[in-house]
Amino acid sequence: MTLKLITRTIMCRTLRWKEDVIQGSLPGSSNGIGRKMSQTASGSASIVAVALVGSTLLLAAAAGADTRRPVRSAPSAHAAGVLNVHDEGHLRFIHASGSVIIDEGSVSGTLPGSVRVRFLYDGEPQVSAQFTINGRGGSISAHATGRLSSLTSPSPSFSGHMTITGGSGRYAHVRGSGTLFGVYYRRSYGLTVQAIGKLPY
Amino acid sequence: MGTTRLPRLFLLSCAVAFLVTLTASLPVGADARQVAKIKARLTPEHLGAATTVSLGFQLPPRDGVSPAALRSMKLAYPPNLGLATSGLGLASCSPGELEALGVEGCPANSRMGSGSATVELVLKVETVTEHISLALFAAPSSDGYLHVLVYAYGVFPVYAQLLLSGVLMHGQMGITVPPIPSFPEAPDVVMTQMQLTLGGPLTYYARSAGKLVAYHPPGVGLPRRCPTGGFPFRATFVFLDGGHASARTAVPCPGGA
Repeated sequence: MTLKLITRTIMCRTLRWKEDVIQGSLPGSSNGIGRKMSQTASGSASIVAVALVGSTLLLAAAAGADTRRPVRSAPSAHAAGVLNVHDEGHLRFIHASGSVIIDEGSVSGTLPGSVRVRFLYDGEPQVSAQFTINGRGGSISAHATGRLSSLTSPSPSFSGHMTITGGSGRYAHVRGSGTLFGVYYRRSYGLTVQAIGKLPY
Repeated sequence: MGTTRLPRLFLLSCAVAFLVTLTASLPVGADARQVAKIKARLTPEHLGAATTVSLGFQLPPRDGVSPAALRSMKLAYPPNLGLATSGLGLASCSPGELEALGVEGCPANSRMGSGSATVELVLKVETVTEHISLALFAAPSSDGYLHVLVYAYGVFPVYAQLLLSGVLMHGQMGITVPPIPSFPEAPDVVMTQMQLTLGGPLTYYARSAGKLVAYHPPGVGLPRRCPTGGFPFRATFVFLDGGHASARTAVPCPGGA
């Protein structure tokens, strides 16, 4: 019964997201970071950001659904196939341990929440990030790996694949994947992350 | 039966431990012709905080004969050391600009460290020693790895600038050493000592509210935990004559932690 309810919720929510994306009203869908990501996508590799965005989207999909929405929305959602969504977070440096940086911040978008990221950059082209987003209904954890570009710039960017690894509360059974984009600020050790998720429905 | 097996195992364990200890105390390159010594220092050494990493090596003469010219070296450091996240090298310096204009040709934010080296020119009548300065810069990268340039410059007895290129990969810095020519008809110059410091008193510039503001980059981040036996460092050298040598050391944990 719970599974059916969540499924129906996601379907309804994705329908609403699709409408929002078409109208250009979703946060981050046409902002400066999005443009920078697209410009630097070939060279940059900020993994953390991608993970945050993707997880936020998934979180929103799972948690923010309107359960009062009529069930008749589901058939048209099935017909649409895949929904593209964006979300964004700005993180500040908390502490570091060698090549590992811990950042925290807020995630804005469909489901507001706080996020804590463990960002690893040891000099290899691949960077990785583990993060947990805490929202009102529970938490979602994810892992992402990606490739960093423009290494010697003050704010190299990254992009990579993100996988949801678990959750709690309302999101205990959330699974999915997406793409994480981000910018790593080498002087302040802060991160800006953007998730672009494709949610099958 | 049980009373004889235990002493045998004990003796075997002692023998293995003795061999391991003996091997660890010897220079790794003892079987090669050339002997190498390295030193490493972390200043200050506070776990979880930024530090300055100093690495030095020495290739002493063997039976009064100077070592062969270096072809390359690899300086291995703890892979979880925060070199990549150090905030050093926020700009890059191109090899062309460095060769043409010297240190002044590079952006201040590309400077990553400094050092010194000793080179020898072996002539028939004497061996001439020269002390040269080193400057370390971040170089452009096209492969995703961090690249560095080591600019060596000396004025006497040989006025020359030399550019070494290196790359940080898998917890080690590989440096290629080109031949160092001296006088016509004379042998190449040989590097016998080198000391390189990452971080230190560097001044960077950042734009804030439309103005350039100077600041000092914090340096290389140390892990919050010190591994058993301290932070390990290792150096491997390959010489032009085909020989090789290596050495290792460890920086003890702070406070014996």
